[in-house]
Amino acid sequence: MTLLDVRDLSVRYEPKASRPLDAVQGVTFSIEPGEFVGLIGESGSGKTTLGTALLRLLQRPGRISGGSIEFNGTDITSLPEDELRSLRWRDLSTVFQSSMNSLNPVVRVEAQFRDAIEQHSSLRGEAVTRRIRELFDMVIIDPKFMSAFPHELSGGMRQRVNLALALALDPKFILLDEPTTGLDVVVQHSILENVRRLQAEQGFAVLFISHDIGTVLDLSDRILVMYAGRIVEDQTAGALLRRPLHPYTKGLLGSYGDPREETVKITYVPGRPPDLSREMTGCSFAPRCPERIERCLETDPPLLPLLGGRAACHVAHLQHEEGGAGPHGEPKRGFEGPQFVKTADESRSALANEVVLSVENVSKVFERRRGFTVTRTEAVSDVSFELRRGEVTALVGQSGSGKSTLAKMITGVETPTEGRIVFHGPDGDKLVSGFKGRALRDYRSNVQMVFQDPYSSINPAKRLGYVLSRPLVNYQGLKGEELRERVKELLERVALTPAERFINRYGYELSGGQRQRVIIAKALAVEPEIIVADEPISSLDVSIRAEILELLNDLVKENDVGILYITHDLLSARMLSDEVIVLNNGKVVEKGPTLGVIRDPKDDYTRTLLDAIPNPF
Amino acid sequence: MTYFARKFGFFLATLWAVVTLNFLIPRLQPGDPAEIMVKRMAGKDAALDQAQVEAMRAMLGTPTDSLWHQYISYLGELIHGNFGLSYTYYPFPVTEVIAQAFWWTVVLVTIAQVLSFVGGVVLGAYAAWRRNSRFDSVVTLGSTFLGTLQPFWIGLLLLYVFGYSLGWFPTSGGYEEATPGWNWPFIQEAVSHAFLPALALLIVTPIGWILGMRNTMIMNLGEDYIRLAKAKGLPDRDVALKYAARNALLPSVTGFALALGGVLGGAILVETVFDYPGMGRLMGEAVEQKDYPLLQALMLLTTVGVLLANLVADLLYGVLDPRARRAEG
Ligand SMILES: Nc1ncnc2c1ncn2[C@@H]1O[C@H](COP(=O)(O)OP(=O)(O)O)[C@@H](O)[C@H]1O
Ligand code: SF4
Ligand SMILES: [Mg+2]
Repeated sequence: MTLLDVRDLSVRYEPKASRPLDAVQGVTFSIEPGEFVGLIGESGSGKTTLGTALLRLLQRPGRISGGSIEFNGTDITSLPEDELRSLRWRDLSTVFQSSMNSLNPVVRVEAQFRDAIEQHSSLRGEAVTRRIRELFDMVIIDPKFMSAFPHELSGGMRQRVNLALALALDPKFILLDEPTTGLDVVVQHSILENVRRLQAEQGFAVLFISHDIGTVLDLSDRILVMYAGRIVEDQTAGALLRRPLHPYTKGLLGSYGDPREETVKITYVPGRPPDLSREMTGCSFAPRCPERIERCLETDPPLLPLLGGRAACHVAHLQHEEGGAGPHGEPKRGFEGPQFVKTADESRSALANEVVLSVENVSKVFERRRGFTVTRTEAVSDVSFELRRGEVTALVGQSGSGKSTLAKMITGVETPTEGRIVFHGPDGDKLVSGFKGRALRDYRSNVQMVFQDPYSSINPAKRLGYVLSRPLVNYQGLKGEELRERVKELLERVALTPAERFINRYGYELSGGQRQRVIIAKALAVEPEIIVADEPISSLDVSIRAEILELLNDLVKENDVGILYITHDLLSARMLSDEVIVLNNGKVVEKGPTLGVIRDPKDDYTRTLLDAIPNPF
Repeated sequence: MTYFARKFGFFLATLWAVVTLNFLIPRLQPGDPAEIMVKRMAGKDAALDQAQVEAMRAMLGTPTDSLWHQYISYLGELIHGNFGLSYTYYPFPVTEVIAQAFWWTVVLVTIAQVLSFVGGVVLGAYAAWRRNSRFDSVVTLGSTFLGTLQPFWIGLLLLYVFGYSLGWFPTSGGYEEATPGWNWPFIQEAVSHAFLPALALLIVTPIGWILGMRNTMIMNLGEDYIRLAKAKGLPDRDVALKYAARNALLPSVTGFALALGGVLGGAILVETVFDYPGMGRLMGEAVEQKDYPLLQALMLLTTVGVLLANLVADLLYGVLDPRARRAEG
């Protein structure tokens, strides 16, 4: 019997301050017992809303506005909370998106297992403790952490604990909403391996939500693709990879490249998803679709069976009906959108450029005083490398490997304990650690940082015109018309066009990708020689990542800046960088031209990082 | 453990600094500190009142000794609770004057504060849990309305209606003719005298707790751990109490400890309106009469009270929120 049967489900948000929007629109699908189903789509497509509705956890202003959810033969769409409660956690459990906060911060972890277990089973006392210990074993965490408080666990451990909690009562169904987003690739990989193994052993069904198609393909039996509140494609993972039906799926697949190729090519879907609070006629993907035909703008394509799966696309269905020989031609495998290409040749020539920064045998020791004991941590030890103009060097490693400390020394925020950093600037060679006051300020105008979190690094309450004019006024003393022209030029440079439209907008009105562009524009304002980009794309959607990478790449080529690209992800390092430096525990374990390192890694740690890249190919 | 030790050490250090400053400041100027202090309070041109100077000198010690000796003997006096003689109640020692007023205030204000806090927090939490319900609207609007009224005005109104017009409660003092102590007539009198001032406090004080608790709780209700608690299928009562309220209470608890420390400040108004024989009224008198020794002792007491309250707040926070212990540990 089908475990979860969702029919025509719609969810509507009716916020007080803005127009109502239908975040989920007539979604129909089902999940069989023990099936692992992936749900993929860019952020804002309604994945979390759908998942939350399935668990009947929607909060105001959201509500189920139509359709039904049947679980194990029971219609739970409007089941009273009292009756629902006995199904909760015993049958349906979950690991939330950003579940860093999903444990009660002031209660020990054990108690948060105990209340759920005692609520739904007859286990008590020692038996509960035994069960919790067993669960900790399943997710490979030392049971001594049972008595810890949530903040005493690392991000990865907390996520494992959440997973263990979800398994506590042997549920039939678990909803995993981006359970590993925001964690290191290596940690992500091991947690997902863990999920896969447990699912195989215990046979629960999973709905796995993610915006990363690589991971979803890696794990799922079947995949649902969601766009603008609807399911647009539903196929088994194998079929979807071999023969994607919907152009949006093709676009998502195109954002993955094989890092081992001589030339990596990734495509991305240009533009943004539609505003769900406005009426639309025709296909909601049409404005971004390279395969669009007349009909797409007039009628909305329904989700219909096709080739053993389902797809909501006029062209896909027409091509099938015509057998590939009609006016609509053969089905295409790829997405004919903008491309980002990185060739090995480019890298070779970039590595011959003039050196702009040299890091020579640099170490950094932090001393922490606690009472009378002093603990010494060597965050960076004996690191040397060179950064060239018009070149990108990637600094790759897990969190805690010393990447950010190195970045701070390069930007003059921290001083090396040993070794030296030399900036080969327009006024000759200068020692970075010697900068103070004015000299430091001048240096900072040559070296700019772009941070990980675009949400916290620009003031959301200021207009973009103001945000961008600040550095221009401070460092270059521009004013009036000249200032305004330069601000517009910067906006255009990062493709926030037309500039007039953006100049008066506020930070909070922008999407994550747009904010990251503003930050890059701000960094460019002072015409730096070096940009240090610390995980600039890790909080962004896959399709937006490609755009930002492209933008950074153009900057390198056109402006001769050197970029130090800091990341935990070797795949993105391959797309952008010419040279890669792999850091582990503050030491350089491997260094060389990116392609060479990826094709033929010498160090075990590099290999671990490589294995962590989801590989659907 | 170090968290608690550090907080306690910090308390001792601040206490010492306060006491020492209290000693140093009057002695920083040249001349006889006692005379200077009296002059400053009385105004430059007023004639020196020798009784005041004497009272002051009893407190400050003899100016001829070395500063170090003076400091040692000052500390000694402090430890023995010797703050000199009150000018207003001459020749009674300050300590005795304060001791008489102390319990009146502590009992009245502490009871009112504790009731206000408990009531306020419970109302606020319930209003948040049932937000947008009729209960919530009544509580929120009611508190906002009462909050706009002057506490002073509420006191006067109570005094007028229940004291003068209806005559249900006495209008001044702490008791009538019973002998203070653990006997029934005295307790009866004390309660009926304390009733109106306590009521005035009970109307004004909970408002802050209600609104504060309601806001924090509503904010916390949006947290992931609350959603997860619901997803776990726990009964509403558990979600509301163990998950939501438990976390929302944290800021209020600290606030409460601090409020208790500020008891004296809060008491001045009520005690003056109701002519209640506590420390608040005493403070008012001391200011009016320029009774420096008394004022100084009261100030020192208030400061120590605030410091102690801070210590208690920190320690409580450390017990209730495991994150605090580590964040600085
Ligand atoms: N509480 C809310 N109030 C109003 N709109 C919301 C709320 N939560 C989500 N939305 C809107 O619903 C749409 C889908 O969001 P979400 O389900 O979070 O997507 P995803 O999980 O795919 O990123 C978005 O347009 C989002 O802005
Ligand atoms: S229906 Fe048309 S616009 Fe929509 S995805 Fe298919 S081809 Fe593109
Ligand atoms: Mg989501």
